Amino acid sequence: MINMEVNIAGIKMKNPVIAASGTYGFGREYGQLIDLNELGGISVKGLTLKSREGNASPRIVETSSGILNSVGLQNLGVEYFLENELPFLRKYDLAVIANIAGNTEDEYCEMAKRIGNMVEGIELNISCPNVKEGGVAFGTSADMVFRITQKVKVNCSVPLIVKLSPNVTDIKEIAAAAEAGGADGISLINTLLGMAIDIHKRKPILANIVGGLSGPAVKPVALRMVWETANTVKIPIVGMGGITSSEDAIEFLLAGADAVAVGTANFVNPFAPIHIVNGIWEYCKKNNLKGVRDLKGMLIDK
Amino acid sequence: MFNKKCKVISNHEIAPSIFEMVIENRDIAIEAEPGQFLHIKVNSGSDILLRRPISICEVNNDNITIVYQIIGKGTTQLSLVRSLEFIDVIGPIGNGFPIDKEKKCAVIGGGIGIAPLLELSKRLKNCDAYLGFKADAYKIDDFERYCDHVIVSTEDGSSGNKGYITDFMKHIEKYEVVYTCGPKIMMKKVKELCHVLPSVTCYISMEERMGCGIGACLVCTCKTINTDDSKWHYKKVCTDGPVFHAEEVELSD
Repeated sequence: MINMEVNIAGIKMKNPVIAASGTYGFGREYGQLIDLNELGGISVKGLTLKSREGNASPRIVETSSGILNSVGLQNLGVEYFLENELPFLRKYDLAVIANIAGNTEDEYCEMAKRIGNMVEGIELNISCPNVKEGGVAFGTSADMVFRITQKVKVNCSVPLIVKLSPNVTDIKEIAAAAEAGGADGISLINTLLGMAIDIHKRKPILANIVGGLSGPAVKPVALRMVWETANTVKIPIVGMGGITSSEDAIEFLLAGADAVAVGTANFVNPFAPIHIVNGIWEYCKKNNLKGVRDLKGMLIDK
Repeated sequence: MFNKKCKVISNHEIAPSIFEMVIENRDIAIEAEPGQFLHIKVNSGSDILLRRPISICEVNNDNITIVYQIIGKGTTQLSLVRSLEFIDVIGPIGNGFPIDKEKKCAVIGGGIGIAPLLELSKRLKNCDAYLGFKADAYKIDDFERYCDHVIVSTEDGSSGNKGYITDFMKHIEKYEVVYTCGPKIMMKKVKELCHVLPSVTCYISMEERMGCGIGACLVCTCKTINTDDSKWHYKKVCTDGPVFHAEEVELSD
């Protein structure tokens, strides 16, 4: 019997695989193709205090083994989520994590208060590269990360996971600031800021000019950052960035992640999260491990 | 909507850079409506990561025909798939064309945009087709089989009339419903022609770069106007569309 359960700072999940924010909506669409009960959790599409229309199209461009997106947090607001989307997700056995993004520190606090304990956890999105105000602006200096984490934590009734941006000089410093500010967990990485140009029109392809890179192309960068973070903080880590297969997910777990999130891979294969859960189970069995939690710290890097 | 491995029955070039592929899947074929699309994984590697949205051209029993143009890496890869191989397909997806069989209709297509209009023509009773191409015309025989009149134009005059198809639509007021798919500039002209005629309802099939293709990721949005309060919103081309009421959708961008 292999124990696939994980506990991320008090967020209990039956397996370590989460659908990553922004790639899975609120579960309804993928729920037509897969059984959402198979997921450990879902981090819902980034929520803002008021509804947002997002950026102009094109919002996506395919790059080598990856995609750039610039959605810009299009959503109908936190109230709409609580009234119309959360009840749907409650029909399923999975942890619901509310990803929140604000223009100001007060907006983050207000959202955390409003959500209360209606979800299992809150993911503090201070790493969205596609909005003019807020977003990644809060996530690139250690002082700012410390401050906003501390402020939101006071208003938060459930475990608080801080989602970090890879667009920083030293991820260790940022992760330590989140931990010092009172974060219960850390998730990383959000997308890497990138760009693509149409050489025939001599114009950027994205209407927003720049966007966030995700998919297999970013995996080595994400893995390195998760490993560095795991060597820096004691709080649990949700690792993500280009995870497509169970082998990818196991790399993140060995590097020090307690759970993983699957994002872009869903677009390619809606069954990817389920295949990843099964693959991790098989790996544990083959290696005579009692459970998925045994993987953390098993990396032989010294 | 299903996610199926579909057997490729045939895949060949019908005009320069234009391919016709027939795939077999009963579940998708039964559910498919004209105007819907399939989201196709063109190969198993990760270099061409995303699926490609391709509209349904025709349905015959368990077979679905798609017609696509080679534009980039993804469609090039798709053109290399051989008969009897299997491709991974999600579909059918999206809102198709609303159909009222009793009405007098016109389908107006430009280039590869003619593809979703074929199955539509087949399901309409009183339908004329206006089909515009740059140079080589294709699928004309099929439209002639299902439509009362087929008007063709090419920019170089190699088939049908010489010029843009919108130049040959003189009496649009005789139609009750107009369906259009093709280049934005053509659809914009069709929308303008219909806009001044209150008796004509116009439907437009939109295209945009897509991600998940099933409504979750919000990357394929187009600008729409709420006709009740005149406020604009971004809607998803994949599942709010791809077919929209012409008055709802903004084509200026």
